[in-house]
Amino acid sequence: MPTITDVVCPLCGCLCDNISVEVEDNAVKKVSGACAVGRAKLLGHESRIRSPMIKEGGEFRECSYEEAIRRAAEILAAARRPLLYGWSSTVCEAHKVGILLAEVLGGVIDNTASVCHGPTVQAVQGVGLPTCTLGEVKNRADLIIYWGANPVEAHGNHMRRYSYISKGWFRPGGKKDRKLVVVDVRETRTAKMADLFIKVEPNKDYLVLAALRAIVNGFADVIPDEVGGVPKEKLVELAEMMKKAQFGIIFFGMGLTQSRYKHNNIEQAISLVRDLYAFTKFAIMPMRGHYNVTGFNQVCTWQTGFPFAVDFARGYAWYNPGETAANDVLSRKECDAALIVASDPAAHFPAESVKYLAKIPLVVIDPYPNLTTEIADVVIPSAISGIEAEGTAYRMDKVPLRLKKLVDSEFMTDEEILERILDEVLKIKGLR
Amino acid sequence: MAELLIKNGIVFDPINGVKGEKMDICIKDGKIVESVSSEAKVIDASGCIVMPGGVDAHTHIAGGKVNAGRLLRPEDGRKGLEPRTSVCRACSGYSVPNTFATGYRYAKMGYTFLMEPAMPPLKARHMHEELMDTPIVDKAGMPLLDNNWMTLQYVKSGDIEKLAAYIAWMINATKGYGVKIVNPGGTEAWGWRKNCGLEDPVPYFDVTPAEIIKALAEANERLSLPHSIHLHANRLGQPGNYETTLKTYDLVKDIKPSRDRQVMHATHVQFHSYGGTKWADFESKADEIAKYVNRHEHITIDLGAVMLGDTTTMTADGPMEYNLYLLTGRKWTNCDVELETGAGITPFLYSGKVPVNTIQWAIGIELALLVEDPWKVVLTTDHPNGGPFITYPILISLLMSRKRREEVMKEVHSVINQRAVLPTIERELDWYEIAIMTRGTPAKILGLHEHGKGHLGIGADADVAIYEISPEETDAGRIQKALLSAKYTIKGGEVVVKDGEVVAAPEGRTFYVDVRYEDEEVWKEMLGDLERMFKEYYTVSLANYPVQDHYVPKPYVIKAGAAE
Amino acid sequence: MQTITLEIREKVFEGVAKVPVELDGVTPDALCGKSADEIKEMRVWWGNRQEKLGDLFEVSVEGNAEKPDDVKIVCKGDFSVVKRVGEGMSAGEMIVEGNVGMHCGAMMSGGRIVVKGNAGCWAGREMRGGELIIEGDADDYLGAAYRGEMTGMTGGRIVVKGNAGDYVGYLCGGGEIIVEGNVGILAGLGMKGGRIVINGDAEAPGGEMTGGTLIVKGSIKDMLPSFRFESEEEIEGVKLKKYAGDLAMGKKAKGALYAP
Repeated sequence: MPTITDVVCPLCGCLCDNISVEVEDNAVKKVSGACAVGRAKLLGHESRIRSPMIKEGGEFRECSYEEAIRRAAEILAAARRPLLYGWSSTVCEAHKVGILLAEVLGGVIDNTASVCHGPTVQAVQGVGLPTCTLGEVKNRADLIIYWGANPVEAHGNHMRRYSYISKGWFRPGGKKDRKLVVVDVRETRTAKMADLFIKVEPNKDYLVLAALRAIVNGFADVIPDEVGGVPKEKLVELAEMMKKAQFGIIFFGMGLTQSRYKHNNIEQAISLVRDLYAFTKFAIMPMRGHYNVTGFNQVCTWQTGFPFAVDFARGYAWYNPGETAANDVLSRKECDAALIVASDPAAHFPAESVKYLAKIPLVVIDPYPNLTTEIADVVIPSAISGIEAEGTAYRMDKVPLRLKKLVDSEFMTDEEILERILDEVLKIKGLR
Repeated sequence: MAELLIKNGIVFDPINGVKGEKMDICIKDGKIVESVSSEAKVIDASGCIVMPGGVDAHTHIAGGKVNAGRLLRPEDGRKGLEPRTSVCRACSGYSVPNTFATGYRYAKMGYTFLMEPAMPPLKARHMHEELMDTPIVDKAGMPLLDNNWMTLQYVKSGDIEKLAAYIAWMINATKGYGVKIVNPGGTEAWGWRKNCGLEDPVPYFDVTPAEIIKALAEANERLSLPHSIHLHANRLGQPGNYETTLKTYDLVKDIKPSRDRQVMHATHVQFHSYGGTKWADFESKADEIAKYVNRHEHITIDLGAVMLGDTTTMTADGPMEYNLYLLTGRKWTNCDVELETGAGITPFLYSGKVPVNTIQWAIGIELALLVEDPWKVVLTTDHPNGGPFITYPILISLLMSRKRREEVMKEVHSVINQRAVLPTIERELDWYEIAIMTRGTPAKILGLHEHGKGHLGIGADADVAIYEISPEETDAGRIQKALLSAKYTIKGGEVVVKDGEVVAAPEGRTFYVDVRYEDEEVWKEMLGDLERMFKEYYTVSLANYPVQDHYVPKPYVIKAGAAE
Repeated sequence: MQTITLEIREKVFEGVAKVPVELDGVTPDALCGKSADEIKEMRVWWGNRQEKLGDLFEVSVEGNAEKPDDVKIVCKGDFSVVKRVGEGMSAGEMIVEGNVGMHCGAMMSGGRIVVKGNAGCWAGREMRGGELIIEGDADDYLGAAYRGEMTGMTGGRIVVKGNAGDYVGYLCGGGEIIVEGNVGILAGLGMKGGRIVINGDAEAPGGEMTGGTLIVKGSIKDMLPSFRFESEEEIEGVKLKKYAGDLAMGKKAKGALYAP
């Protein structure tokens, strides 16, 4: 069987690029180097959407790509406030067409960051981000903190390839040369490995971080005996560990971005890292979920000036999460049509927003059937990026890698479908 | 492609010695030609100045660091909003414009070639993705090669041959243009929150910045690259750094250039020309720096001039940005890149009410006026560090008009009369000297003049800027207006700007150097070292590292070394 | 005195979606001395298209004025789908008889806005002067900064008779905000000047504040651990504890938080 090496895994923000796959009869038969979830995706046992479909009288009927694309274009071109959402499980080449389409339509474009690490982006816009690439952690870090993140279950190879368990230039002993701290609301599998586990009461991270900052900044005296369920001694111990580390890193997950005080948790955590520069070297990094959620934010930033939640109604980019993110325009019923690409908001958005999404004309581009395709009016199947189509993705530390095409596909790529929709929209608007 | 005839303009083409002569320029198939047929479209340039397209030798326009700056500053993004037009994509930003705005706004100023000077090799693909999305202009990027662990090890072992082989591999892998050096040793030290002076050993690597600079200069000449080393010296932005700067320049004075050019290009020298011992006695040492440059032939500089106002500072010099953050308390981003380099970003307001900022403003202008030979000086603001590139017309008007300088000097802090040289300088640059600093010198120092850039000789790229202004005009306001909105910009023979508006937005090309290192033994040994670095320490595989051709859809390849 | 009445038409509410209309540029400054016909011809954004103001609003004009100070604009009907009402106004008066959408009074530098109902998020964003009275509730980001800016409100006065949402006075640098009812999380977040008074309850007030005065008279949930108790003081007849902070910000923290 032909073996393809150095395959980049299109699953999570780790973008492990040391995967080998064996291909036979145009199918991936064997995968080595990937975590269990990555392997499952690469082996491709999930069911697929077989054909483009249009819903009529409440029932889907199969149709040609041409017909589905034309219908999609009609829906979008007619809309006064179309929403273009998703993007995190497809490649940057598709993002570029999507952003151009949003610009031509005068629509709102947003990616899944707005429901995962959007708060991180907002925090960065408040205070900045002292960060690094993952290899800096691998080679230098002697203190690794996971806060509201559980890589053992969510980012299978993260610790082995990039952090606690990996071996590096200045840390040849791997975990023997490092300390692991976990801060979370429950004792996760990651927490069980930790040298120090700090259990925080749910929704009190902001208070705990404020206390840590005050301690680091020389005001330990004002801190009460307990903050957010954590005894003061433990906070002082952690602050000392951080100050004494040679190179420390905080990896944080949705436990921090999606709990109470959201982006302010992140602002505090970033500010804590910045404050620690008075003593030592430190960095902080979000544990990004979907493999290319970072890529969309990058492309959207260089093309529009803003990372997500961009409203092109007036022909220029207006950015204001809270007003222009997907759930904002859905929950306030502002959008009158939607295009969802490579994402399943019906599974993740608040019930009211999903109910509204079902009421408006909805076009979905995705390789797989999901809850959102069920409520769609037009469904367009696409090739799986990173398996059936190549393209660019950005790792959680913003390192870009080129995904490979491993097998052929009967389906069009996201990029091709979007280009065809764009072409039809331009025709309808008399611009082509 | 259609023929064009630019008639009756006053032409400034320094590389060909054309100094304000009334002459016609003929264009065919994207190149300057001797003559065109009677079918040629005629552009009447009567009463206008005609120059080659501008070349910016140092401007941070694309890549991870620039994008981190955009992401950091939505408040800057909303300052430059422009809606989509039938030709242009939507624009945003002032000091950190989106890629589309970067291309359009440079083109409107008559610029047609841009050099991104700080590409982290690991993120080279990102820079190229942004360059692809920067319309109209041609461009290139220089990989950072001075804090790389491979470099540090070869410098330590004194192995210039392997260093040259490594540089060749990296320039090819990143589709890069030349060797960029940023705070050598200091950026690696920043991995431990430390910094390095010129003679300080780099932690754990036991080499000094001085050794790194010399070795890279030698390796650069060993490969006979089109550009010399491009150096951001140690101690940027620190009071009293001019002594380090002068010592740094002196390091390479005995190295023989492999081509007819400088051995070292020192960049954004304004930031390196500081006297005093602390902020309180901070003063200009532009005169000392200029004196050195005037007496030596191995060095060229660009200004990195400061223009007063708000901007975003960004550099691979991580410790410098942290220090700047400590001064302002504003937001701060840092990103260290494994085995290679780093980056720091923080917003900054240069205020004429602040003594230090006032002196910084003076120094950039002083350097341009005190260095006697304009062929040693490139006009830059180190965009966006000293100010956004769209302030170039303001900078040029200050260089051309003493009257305008005096007006500004009356408004800024009076410290300028004690601790800067500017009030005593009478020199006013003329259009020919401006053309040298914005076209001739940048093209020559980069080696681009051999590839059709920076001049209007027969066979050159038909990149032309036409400004509606008389060569006799001395009014600063009119100079600024003319330079900000070119009457015409022609790129590769196509009219892209007319009356200050973008009328066509073709894709530009990306220039990169294809350099071969010929000793197979050495090459193999270097590859062995490289493979080990990837296997043990990088977090990406060697096979996935080099930039694929896909990311340079419109390449222009310059061969160097054994590939030449 | 010129009184201009804008009554929103049913047309705006047709269909499933509530696409917002944006009313920036329709201020006493811009409308001063204009006739009803002229005003009807003005363009406003409704989603991705510009429409004639007169197509979306019934417009009537009484009297005339020579300067914006003498102009009063009355907004009738459900303006909860109308954004940017009074954005950037510098003089005169705007009365919204019911609820109003986002960004009401954003960047206003003078004049007066009265909202009889509730106001959407970012009311009084980056306000520099004038007065914004909200008789109902205000949503999140009252008198706040725009994303990424260093400073939000720098002057003027905002009064909310009901409750307000999260982030009241985010990055406040000057001016005054008074909320009669309760507020959400992080009132006075990052404030460095000005004065915010909350007569009701608050959650984690004063986070990251470095200056200014923040007074909470009701109860506090999640009092931040990083404030130092200084003294007891009586403010407007209520006995309160004075704290200095937020010490998470280190030595530069010079804010005053008054809490029960």
